[in-house]
Amino acid sequence: MTSSSAQWDGRTYPYVAPKKLSIDRGLKLHTAAKASIDPVTYEVVRHAMWNVNVEHGNTIMKISGSPICAYGHDFNPCLLDENGDFVFFGPFLQYLGSATTSAIKWTLENRSSNPGIEDGDIFLTNDPWIGATHQSDVTLIAPLFWEGKLFCWVGNTLHQWDLGGTSPGGFNPQAPDIFWEAGCIPPVKIVEKGRLRRDIEEEYIRRSRMPQLVALDLRAEIAGCNVARERMLSLIKRYGPETIKGVIRKLQNDSEKAFLARLKTIPDGTWREVGWIEMANTQDRHIYCNALTLTKKGNKLIFSNEGTDPQSGTLNCTMVAWKGAIASMICAQMLFDQMFVVEGAYRHCEFNATPGTLTCASYPAAVSAAPALTLLQTIALAGLVISKMLACSSDPELRKEVQSCMGAAMYPVAAFNGIDQRKSPFASFLLDPVGAALAGLSWRDGVDTGGWPWDLQSTMPNVEEHERFYPILYLWRRELKNAGGAGKFRGGNSAELAFIPHKTDRLTFFTATGHAAVPPPGLFGGSPPSTNRYTIKRDARVRSYMSETGKMPDTLEDLPGKTEYLAPKSFDIPALPDDVFVLAWAGAGGYGDPLERDPESVRRDLVNGSVTADWAKQAYGVVFDRTGKLDKAATDRTRDQLRAGRLANAPKKEHFKANVDGARQVAEGLLLVGSGSEDFLACAKCHTRISSARDNYKLHCVTESHPVTAANPHILDPNNYIDDSVVFQTYVCPGCGLLIQTEILRPGGVPLWDLQLGEVKRK
Amino acid sequence: MSTRKVKPAANAATNKANDKNKYFCGIDIGGTFTDCVVRDQAGRLTIAKVLSTPEESSKGFFAALEAAAAKLGLTLQDLMSNTQLLLHGTTLGTNALLERKGAKTGLLTTRGHADAIIMMRSVGRSAGLPLDKLHHVSRHQKPVPLVPRSLIREVSERIDFSGEVLLPLNEGEARTAIRELLDQGVQAIGICFLWGFANPAHEIRVREMIEEMAPGVYVTCGHELISKPGEYERAAAVAINCFIGPLMSRYVIRIEEQARALGYRRPLVIMQSSGGVASAAEVARKPVFTIGSGPAGGLTATGFLASLLKQKNVIASDVGGTSFDVGLVSDGVPLSGTETTVNQYTFSAPHLDLISIGSGGGSIIWVDEKTESLKVGPESAGANPGPACYGRGGTRPAVTDADLILGYYNPDYFLGGKLQLDKTAATSAMDRVGRVLGMSAVETAAGAVQIVEFQMAELMRQMTVERGFDPRDFVVYGYGGAAGAHVAEYTRELGCHQVVVPLGATASTWSALGVQAADLLHVYETSRLFMAPFPSKEFNQIFEELERPARLQLHKDGLKDSDIAIERAVEMKFKLQIHTVEIPLRYGKLSDQHMKELETAFIEKYERTHGRGSAFTAAGIEVGLFRVRARGRIRRPSLQKRTSVKSAGAIDRREVYWRRFKAFRTTPIYDGAQLKTNAVVKGPAIVQLPETTIVIPPRDEGHFDGYGNFLLTLSD
Repeated sequence: MTSSSAQWDGRTYPYVAPKKLSIDRGLKLHTAAKASIDPVTYEVVRHAMWNVNVEHGNTIMKISGSPICAYGHDFNPCLLDENGDFVFFGPFLQYLGSATTSAIKWTLENRSSNPGIEDGDIFLTNDPWIGATHQSDVTLIAPLFWEGKLFCWVGNTLHQWDLGGTSPGGFNPQAPDIFWEAGCIPPVKIVEKGRLRRDIEEEYIRRSRMPQLVALDLRAEIAGCNVARERMLSLIKRYGPETIKGVIRKLQNDSEKAFLARLKTIPDGTWREVGWIEMANTQDRHIYCNALTLTKKGNKLIFSNEGTDPQSGTLNCTMVAWKGAIASMICAQMLFDQMFVVEGAYRHCEFNATPGTLTCASYPAAVSAAPALTLLQTIALAGLVISKMLACSSDPELRKEVQSCMGAAMYPVAAFNGIDQRKSPFASFLLDPVGAALAGLSWRDGVDTGGWPWDLQSTMPNVEEHERFYPILYLWRRELKNAGGAGKFRGGNSAELAFIPHKTDRLTFFTATGHAAVPPPGLFGGSPPSTNRYTIKRDARVRSYMSETGKMPDTLEDLPGKTEYLAPKSFDIPALPDDVFVLAWAGAGGYGDPLERDPESVRRDLVNGSVTADWAKQAYGVVFDRTGKLDKAATDRTRDQLRAGRLANAPKKEHFKANVDGARQVAEGLLLVGSGSEDFLACAKCHTRISSARDNYKLHCVTESHPVTAANPHILDPNNYIDDSVVFQTYVCPGCGLLIQTEILRPGGVPLWDLQLGEVKRK
Repeated sequence: MSTRKVKPAANAATNKANDKNKYFCGIDIGGTFTDCVVRDQAGRLTIAKVLSTPEESSKGFFAALEAAAAKLGLTLQDLMSNTQLLLHGTTLGTNALLERKGAKTGLLTTRGHADAIIMMRSVGRSAGLPLDKLHHVSRHQKPVPLVPRSLIREVSERIDFSGEVLLPLNEGEARTAIRELLDQGVQAIGICFLWGFANPAHEIRVREMIEEMAPGVYVTCGHELISKPGEYERAAAVAINCFIGPLMSRYVIRIEEQARALGYRRPLVIMQSSGGVASAAEVARKPVFTIGSGPAGGLTATGFLASLLKQKNVIASDVGGTSFDVGLVSDGVPLSGTETTVNQYTFSAPHLDLISIGSGGGSIIWVDEKTESLKVGPESAGANPGPACYGRGGTRPAVTDADLILGYYNPDYFLGGKLQLDKTAATSAMDRVGRVLGMSAVETAAGAVQIVEFQMAELMRQMTVERGFDPRDFVVYGYGGAAGAHVAEYTRELGCHQVVVPLGATASTWSALGVQAADLLHVYETSRLFMAPFPSKEFNQIFEELERPARLQLHKDGLKDSDIAIERAVEMKFKLQIHTVEIPLRYGKLSDQHMKELETAFIEKYERTHGRGSAFTAAGIEVGLFRVRARGRIRRPSLQKRTSVKSAGAIDRREVYWRRFKAFRTTPIYDGAQLKTNAVVKGPAIVQLPETTIVIPPRDEGHFDGYGNFLLTLSD
C-alpha cells in the first residue's frame, strides 16, 4: 500500500490493521502460552475448540430460526485469539471470514480507551469499511477475559432481513451511494458487562422494517457468543490458560507450516485474471473490469486489485469483502486439511488494494449488493489466480486443486413480491441459484448443480416449498445442457427454472446480477460457461396451451407471446398471470482444450443429457451416428479439421521442438523448459517452443478473436444489455493447434499476461 | 434372565408340557452374525448366535432359530408351531443400497421435473460427509445416480399445492413413457409427481396402467411413502424403495412362506427404522422404511429395558467396530427424526434419531506428521485385516490394540476365547506410531483411548446439550462389543454418573432383543397448512381421516382395538422461521379450547428446545403437518429376573493402566458369570464376560442387577 496508514482507518478508506495494534495500556492481553503441548492434550483440546465453534453456530441457528441462516448458510461463528487473529471459523459461508478479524482489530484500536473493552462486553458492527461484508451482515464480537486479561475473542456474523434504506432488504439497484442503503454502524457496545443495553438495541432495531425479527436475530447472535465464551472458560479452567493458548498458537502455527510447505512447491511468479461486470445501475449500458493479480515471492502471497475500474453505481464492494472473497478460496484450495484455519495463510498474505475502485470502494459508495456481485466475482477470480499458481506446483496432489471458474460467479438475484395465494402480502427472492455448479478440475469434470466451493453445503429449496408459500407455479426446473464451459474436463452444468404467477393477479420483480452480458472465464483453453439470464415471455398463455394440447410446455418455444430479456439491474418489473418468468444461472467454467476431452466422456454426457449432439460436434469435435454411437473415424477427422482451422491463418514456419527432459508443467498446455541461458515455455503436447519465459506467451500463440456468443451456446448477444463490445479470444499452439488459453477482452485489448514466472529453481 | 444360567433340558420339558404358541422370536441379521432371542411365557430369554449367510440370508435366519430351539430342547418345527410372533430385523435393504446391488429402476415424474433427483438439491455433493471430507471441496461429488437420466421419463399432468388438478393426466404420454422404460428392461418403476400426496389420483392411475401393461414390475408411488412437500426427498425415497423393493419383497415373502411351512401361523413382522415392526406384506411394499433399522433395534431395546428399569431418560451409546452411534430416550420415548441421509441421498422417513461418528474399536490410531499430533479414526481397520492384535496381517494399530496394551482385555478371553489376541503385534504396531512423537507404546495407547473417549463424549453432548437436554438428567447405556471398555470414561467426560451395560451376555444380541421387544407401528401423515387460530372442526376431520386407515391396518395385522394406541401430533412452526416442533395432541374430539392449548404448548416447547426468548410469536403460528402414530401393542410376558448365583472373588489379577494414576496397577479380574446379584465390585477392576469386558476405573463401582445388567456408579 502506498498511502500512509493514517488514512486506512475505516472511515473513507477501509480499515487496514497495522502490524502492531495500538491498544490502550489499561487493557491487558493474555499472551502467555505453553511452547510445547503433548500430542494427546493437543488433539483433545483442538477437537473441543472446534466443537465450541460448532455449538456456537448451532445456537445461532436454533434461536434465530431464520431461513437465511438455515438454508442460505449466511452466517458464520468464529473463535479468534487475543489479537483478533483466527483460530476456527465455521463450515458455512467462508467469505464472511475477514469481517470478524477486522472488526476486532479496529475495536481494540478504537474502543479500548473509550468506552473500554471489559469482561462480559459484546460489540456490534455492520460497517463494511470496518468489519462487515455489507450492511446486512451484522458482526458481533465478544472478548473473553481470564484473570483480568483479554484471553481471546469469539464472534459471529449473521445476515439480517432488513436494516432500513430505500428498498426492503437494503439493496436498491438504482442506488448512487450508501445513503440510499441501510446505514453503517461502527462497533458499538451492545452488551455491557453481560447486560444487553436497551438504548443501543432500540437504536439498532428502530431502522428496520422488521424490528422484531432483527431483535430475535440479535439475541441469537448474543446467545451464540455466550455459549462459546462459557465453553472456552470451562476449557481454560480445566486445562489451564497457558495450555489452551498453547493449543491456539499451535493450531495457527501448524496451519502456517502446512501453508508454507505448499508454497515451497511453487515457483515465484505472478498470475492474473480479469472479470467483467455490466451495468452500474438500471440505466447504464457499460462494462467494468474487476482485475485480480496474485504474486508469489518466496514465502509471501501478494494479492492486488491493480487494473480494477473505479467504483461505480451499485457494483462495489469494500476491502473487507474483497479480502474475505480471496480468503475463501485460499481455504478451499490450500487449507482443506487444516480445517480452514486461515490464520496460517494470513500471516503470509498481503492484500494491496487501490482505494476508490470496484473492489476497494471508498465511503460513501453503495456496497450493499457486494455479495451478489463483485464479492462473488472476486471469489471466482481468486479461485482462478490461485489455480494458475497451483498449476505450477511440483506437488501432483496440490495440482488436483486446480479448477476453472465456479458456477453462478455472480448471483442472479430475482426478488419478487405481491399478494400471495392466501391474500397476504409477501416479498422474497429465489434461492434456487445456490444450486450453482462446480468448476472443471485439472483431473475431472465439475459437479452439475453442485453448489459453490465456498459454501460446503449449498442447498436449493424444493419446488414444492416455493409453491407452497408463494403464488407461483413452476413449469420446469432442470439442469441446462451445455451450460458448463466446454473443456478437457467440462464445467458443471447449472440449471434453469420457469414459473407463472398462480392464484394471484400480479407479481413484481427486481433483478441484480452480472455475467448476463459477458460470461465469466474458462481456464487453460477451457471455455466460458453460460451466462445468467432473466427472461419474461409476455402473453404466453400457458393455461390455454395446457387445456388445448393436454401437455405441459417444455420450452418457451412451445408458447406464443413476446420474449423480453430483463436487464441485470432492473426494478419494478410486473408480471401478469399469462406471463412466464424464466431464470437461468451461469454454469461453471471448463478446464483445458475441449478437443483433448476423451470422446467416451462426451458420449456419456450425451447419454446422460448433459450435452447435445450439435454442441458435442462443435465444441468437442465428437461425432455420433444416428443411433448415438460414437463415430471414431469421423471424430478423428473432425478434430483434425478443427485443429487445422485454428492454425489456418497462422504464418507457415518451422517450429523448434524442445527437449523437455526435466521440464516442469506450469499450465495444462505449457511446460517450462530450461535451456542454459534462458528459460522458455513450450507446448505440453507437441513440445513446440512458444516463447521466452520472460514474455507473455499469448503474444506468441496463434490468436483468433471470436464473438463472445461462440464461447457457449447459451450466451446472448451482449448488445442486448450493453453498448460496449467484448470478444472471445483463443490462444493456440502454433505447432499442433492445442488451445492453451482463452480470454474475454475488449476488442483490440492487450492480452492479459496471466502467467509471468520469476526465477525458477529446477530439479 | 440369561441363558447361561438356564439348564436347557429342564426348560425344554416345561416348555413342551405347558406352553403352546407362547414364544416370541426375534431374529436380527447383521454383517457377521445372525442373532436370535427367544422369550418364553415365563419371560425367560434364550439366545443363539450363528454366522450370517450373506449369499442367502434366509439360511442364517432359520439356522439361528434352530440353534435357539436346540437350546430349548426343541426342533425347529416345534419352535415355529409354538411361536406367537416371529419378529425380524434385517440390513438386507440397507446393504443392497450401499453396495448398489438393486433392481434396474425407472422413474416417472411431472413434465419439467425429471431432474429433481439428479440435482439432489445441490447438497447431494456433500450430504452426510464427515468433517475431514466436508472440507475437501475438490473431492465433493454426487453419487452415481440410483436412477440415471436415461431411465427417467416426464409425463404431462399438473396438480397444485392445494391438490387442485390444473392439467389432467395425459395418459397417452404416460403409456409411451411406461412402454419406453419397459423396453429398457426396468424391473421397478417409481412414480413421483409434484403434489402427488395432496391429490394422489394421477399417481394411482399411472400405477394401474403399469400393472396392466407389466404385471410383474415392482411399482411405488410417492404418496404411498411420504405425505409432505419436498419432491426431491420423496423422489429419493421412491427410487430407493424401487431399487431394493424386488429383492426385499422376494426375501420377506420367502421367509414368511418357509416359516409357514414349518408350522408358524401368524404374520412375520419386520423391524423398521421407526423402531416399530410392520407386517411382511407391508414391508414388501415399503422396504425403504427398513433402511437404518439396525441401530434402531438397539435403541428400541434400550427403550424396552429403560421402561423395565423405570428410567425415563437414557442416552444410548453403541460402540461398534467402525462407528459410535448415539440415540436418546426422553420421558420414556425414543427420540424420532424425520430425515435420513444414506449414500448422500436424503429422504424423509419416520425413524429413530441416531447420530454417528467413525469412532470404534477398529478406528486406526495414526500420527499427522504435519502437525505432530496423535489422531484416532475416522479410518477403520474393519474386520479384515482388523486391528494388529487380530494377527490377520493388520500393521496399523487400532483402538482395540490400545485396549489390549492397557490391560483392559485378556488376550486369551476375547469374545469368550474365540479369538486369540496377539499383544506383541499390538505393541509393536503402537510403538511404530508413537515413536514419531517420542511416545512409548503405552503412552500412545493411553493417549489414543483418551482422544477417542473424548470424541464420543462430544457426540453425546451434541445429542443432548445442543438439543436442549441436560445430560446430567440421563443414564448412559453402553452396548456393542467395545462399550464396556470405554463407557465409564466417556460418561464421566459428559458429566453423567450412572451407567448401564445392559443384560450382561445378552448385550451382544442387543439388536435382536430390540426386534423381539418391538411393537407394531404405522405412521400416517398428511401435509396441510393452517395459521393460528386453528379450526378444531377441520383438525378433527383430518385426524379421523388419518386414523381410519391406521386402525384398519392394525386390524389387518391381527390386533384388537384394546391393544391399539393412537398417538396424534402436529408439526408446528412460527411463520418466517424454519424450526418445526412436534406437539402431541390428545386423542378424541378436539375443542377450541384444545386449539388454544396447542398454541401455548408449542411456544413452551419451542423455548425449551431453542432457548428462552427464541419464540417469535409476532409472526404467527403455523401447523404444516398432521401425524398419527398407530401402535399395536404386542402383549408379552415380562422379563424374568435371573436366579442369583453364589459370588466368587477375583479369578485373576493383571497389570492394568489407569489414567488417574498415569501408571499400571495390579488389578483384580472378575468373571461376570460368577458375580452374585448386587455384589459390589469396586474399581479399579475388570469384569470379564464372554462378549464384552467391563472396565471399572478407580473410585467407581458397579454390580449386576436382577436382570443381569451391569450398573456402574461413577465418581466425579
